[in-house]
Amino acid sequence: MMTEIPDEAALALEFDVFARRAGLDIPADRRAGVFAGFKDLRRMLALMRQPRTAAHEPAGTYSILSVTRGL
Amino acid sequence: MTAIGLDVANLSLVQAAEAVRQGEVSAVALLDACLANLDAHEEAVNATIWVDREGAFAAARAADAEHAAGGPIGSLHGLPLAHKDMYYQAGRRSTCGSAIRKDFVPSYSATVIERLAAAGAYAFAGLNMAEFAQNGTGHNRHHGDCRNPWNLSYITGGSSSGSGAAVASRFTFAALGSDTGGSIRLPAAANGVSGIKPTQTRVSRYGVMPLSFSADNVGPLARTARDCARILSVIAGYDPRDPTSAEMPVPDYEAGLNGDLRGVRVGVPTTYFLDDVDAPVQAAFEASLAVLAGRGATLVPLKLPLMDAISTYASVVSRVEGATIHAEWMRKHPHDFATHINARLFASLAIPATYYVEALSRRGPILKAFATEVFGQVDLLVAPTIRICLPSIAATDVDNGPPGTEQVAMGISINTRPFNYLGLPSMSIPCGFDPNGLPIGLQISGRPFAEGAVLKAADAYQRDTDWHARRPAIPAA
Repeated sequence: MMTEIPDEAALALEFDVFARRAGLDIPADRRAGVFAGFKDLRRMLALMRQPRTAAHEPAGTYSILSVTRGL
Repeated sequence: MTAIGLDVANLSLVQAAEAVRQGEVSAVALLDACLANLDAHEEAVNATIWVDREGAFAAARAADAEHAAGGPIGSLHGLPLAHKDMYYQAGRRSTCGSAIRKDFVPSYSATVIERLAAAGAYAFAGLNMAEFAQNGTGHNRHHGDCRNPWNLSYITGGSSSGSGAAVASRFTFAALGSDTGGSIRLPAAANGVSGIKPTQTRVSRYGVMPLSFSADNVGPLARTARDCARILSVIAGYDPRDPTSAEMPVPDYEAGLNGDLRGVRVGVPTTYFLDDVDAPVQAAFEASLAVLAGRGATLVPLKLPLMDAISTYASVVSRVEGATIHAEWMRKHPHDFATHINARLFASLAIPATYYVEALSRRGPILKAFATEVFGQVDLLVAPTIRICLPSIAATDVDNGPPGTEQVAMGISINTRPFNYLGLPSMSIPCGFDPNGLPIGLQISGRPFAEGAVLKAADAYQRDTDWHARRPAIPAA
């Protein structure tokens, strides 16, 4: 689960899989920096799970009006 | 020719515009003064990426000729402005602070550039910035770090680093910046100038390099709140070329600046914004509260809801969207990004889509809760723009620093980022100096589309203080 932080070896494997799936060829001299950023993000994502109640519905992420207004 | 008899580049934007209108100073004289300061100090500050002197003088002469011919002139007639190098101007290079776009020449101009030109201003330089607007410190591997004119060893804040530094250094009367997590307010605070991030959708983003579709904002940096009000009155408003822009009417923001804060309730946070704040910042902030109270404001202590969640959701949204925008370049040109940009962007592709949608979907309910619980009790919310005394360029050099440097760099925007997720108008004005002689910023935020109230409080504060009028004595490089 994204809310649990795996150990370093598992994180490294997860990172390599993610990079391949994203089509990224991370240069060897950049790997350490990108991996550090990846670990920071995983820690942040672990904070995200919050209870969802009826007050959080519907998801207002998209409005057709924002597209049609420009036509 | 001038009846003013002083360094005209030290005038505020509004003062300079009125001096041109009254015939007290020519547009060419304004440009001469700005370029004299630029020639004297640009090597030290490194605020510009390109300067078009020939075009600038042609524009200034045309402005003078037009004024001499009589007839109406705009509110910014003859003013030389410079902008963060991500505002597209047809036929002019726009590097976006990057190597990848070093030769990019857009075929169209940003709406805000056109609106400023319609008001009589012209753009004469592209200003330094964080690469693709991706850091809050102003470091830039490709164009050189922008340096703080108050102390060249210190950061300018970012990502509108050159905008803050150029305004403070009197290279220009005002500059456009952009703000996705603090990138107008941070350089405003760091350079001792005024800058406003308007309400999400208040200003068109057509022709502006995107970082985050959900959180990008366009806004000005200038020396006073009144200057920002004038520019915002020009650039705000619905744009059919940016269908996300709001159709709310644009008030005359300057007309409301009367210095009277009686009846205004100002929220003072008791949580989050002052956590681990440095003592000099706390002292400057508390002194600022007294100034606002002296203008009639009522101070209301407030506990704020949901701040840690807001900060996390804000990061997820902007990182995913930034990574999406840059994905192909990341795949094809990984070495053309600075190392810390790699770390930020590349890793963000690993955020699952469901987390991104969750962060976005919480935005509406969280804004509603914040508006009810906070702005149901107060009209404005104040806080330090940056919690800590400004750090040095070396201490925040993520690419070359020890482990933990990124946390220092990221901590700079902890007080600004929430207002991007919430979409609220938020401004930084200078409120003092720290023991190292670097400026301290006061952040004033308001309800959606309450830019007028924010600017009014900032202007009222600046009637009783002179932090905004101080000018750095820039040492040689």
